[in-house]
Amino acid sequence: MAFSRPNCIVHTMQSIRRAGQQSSFVSASPIPTQLLQRQQRHLLSTTSRESASEVQAAPEIDFAQFLQTPARIIPASPAYFSGSPKFIDYLLDLERIQAKYAPLPLVAANKAPRMAWFKLPQFRDFVGEQVPVKKYRGLIKILQRLNRIKPNVAPEEVRQTLSRFLRPGNPYGNKPAPATVDEMGRGRGYGKRKASSAVVHLVEGDGDVLVNGKSLAEVFPRLHDRESATWPLRCTQRLDKYNVWAIVRGGGVTGQAEAITLALARALLVHEPALKPALRKAGVITVDARRVERKKPGHVKARKMPTWVKR
Amino acid sequence: MIVRQVCMRQSRQLLALNRPRVFSRFLSTDEGRFTSIPEIRSASEPEQYSRDASKQKFRSLGSAVKEPYEPEDILRNPPTPGDITLELLLASQTHLGHSTSRWNPQNSSYIFGIREGVHIISLDVTATHLRRAAKVVEEVAARGGLILFVGTRKGQKRIVVRAAELASGYHLFERWIPGSLTNAQQILGHCEMKVVNALDEVLPQFSNGKNSTAGAGGAAEEEEGAERPALKPDLVVCLNPLENVVLLHECALNNIPTVGIIDTDADTTKVTYPIPANDDSLRSVGVIAGILGQAGYAGQLRRLREAEHGRLTYSPTFSAKET
Repeated sequence: MAFSRPNCIVHTMQSIRRAGQQSSFVSASPIPTQLLQRQQRHLLSTTSRESASEVQAAPEIDFAQFLQTPARIIPASPAYFSGSPKFIDYLLDLERIQAKYAPLPLVAANKAPRMAWFKLPQFRDFVGEQVPVKKYRGLIKILQRLNRIKPNVAPEEVRQTLSRFLRPGNPYGNKPAPATVDEMGRGRGYGKRKASSAVVHLVEGDGDVLVNGKSLAEVFPRLHDRESATWPLRCTQRLDKYNVWAIVRGGGVTGQAEAITLALARALLVHEPALKPALRKAGVITVDARRVERKKPGHVKARKMPTWVKR
Repeated sequence: MIVRQVCMRQSRQLLALNRPRVFSRFLSTDEGRFTSIPEIRSASEPEQYSRDASKQKFRSLGSAVKEPYEPEDILRNPPTPGDITLELLLASQTHLGHSTSRWNPQNSSYIFGIREGVHIISLDVTATHLRRAAKVVEEVAARGGLILFVGTRKGQKRIVVRAAELASGYHLFERWIPGSLTNAQQILGHCEMKVVNALDEVLPQFSNGKNSTAGAGGAAEEEEGAERPALKPDLVVCLNPLENVVLLHECALNNIPTVGIIDTDADTTKVTYPIPANDDSLRSVGVIAGILGQAGYAGQLRRLREAEHGRLTYSPTFSAKET
């Protein structure tokens, strides 16, 4: 007998009830449920019950298996399509932290603790991407801005983030011990100029100056040289307070005088470190690195060329 | 049907200083709100430097400002596709086109008229195209597609990053490197990828040493995992198509559909789903990108809810045999 297959559960149940009342053969329902099975057992004859029990409910979803199955492969970073995802991620993280801690007070840039950030080749190696110079400088600017947050209110998150960008070791931690006056009251300084090198011992005294065992006038007949040699003491008005013992070798007269200048300034700083700004203004701290330029082939001297001839 | 706001602004009771923020955008077609939208959290600063602490002292002084405009709101809480109204688009300056002499005649059907020598874009056309684009973004996200948000103009960085964050997509705010799709292995081959399950959880056992974040134990360094092919996006949303001609061309070569904000001087044939709107105003770009980001968020939510019930909304693009 032709049987139209019902689509929904209601129709199925109705047809089964009808079948049960008529005790006739029932086709397997497409959607058997527990309720349906109970109804079937109740209403149907033994033969129908056997055919109905062949159809089982769907097995439970194995979520463990489902969650272990790979579904797709996706980029690890949202900045994947930029070509330098790691750098962009670092940059965005720093900007987020900067915006988050924007209200915190700052110190002046020169008062902030000195940090040894990664140099560009080191950072490129660290990140594994060819970061352009300009963009890295932008990153450093954000790091410097975060570094300026007052140390006593700087949050742990900021400090940890900054430490990720530091060079390993502590380059600014290994400072040499500041030089001190020795047991005989002498301060020592070294200085160089052109081919001359000088060592000066400075001790509290009356104002005697000896260069290579001789007096200043004997060694430097030129007034300019005498004045430049003693300029560190004269500009700070301490010429009558210290005795100078200088040994100088190499070079010429003026070179030796300038070498003594530098050495004397350094020896004076051993006695009085607070004089540094004054001596820097006087121009005796900076080393003069000029040397005699070598002669080149095709030239008469370092720069001088032989006379140009038309033919 | 557009239902206008009723009584909210005029009510005196609501002029109280400590009233909660009321959404002034009224829904024209209620598409349903989504819960737990990821918002940018406020700063957790020390008490004495908190902005709110100083505000408390002076709150009772001065005039009461009703409904202040906060530019950050576009990023903090972007509008959803259900919030698209002509009022919103008008307030965000999306109707402002370029000078009439600079127009592209292909865009004539998007233009409403001329005012002070400038073309005005028809806002109902904008709304229609925007809703369509939002639907596209939502469906691509619901099917596990990779959505790339591109905005290379100055000031679009935060907009693009926020939209990508909402839609669990990808962002690009620096110059597009030409060849990222046509020469993908060379340019993007070194960038890391991850194998995930239906719930977007990383499966470390499928990661090979070369392209992945999660290393599979110590053996990863020694075994030479074959480099996996570089990935390409399934949908690209471009906020300034005039400046990204190369990107759109590469997408067209690779059969990748694109969504773009088309101004009156832009070429409408360059993108698959144009949104005729103002691409110069950051506010208009922010609103449009925010809407598309929210659409992506809705799509991701739907996909993950299906996955929680053991259903994958797409055919797996990665099988266990590929290692």
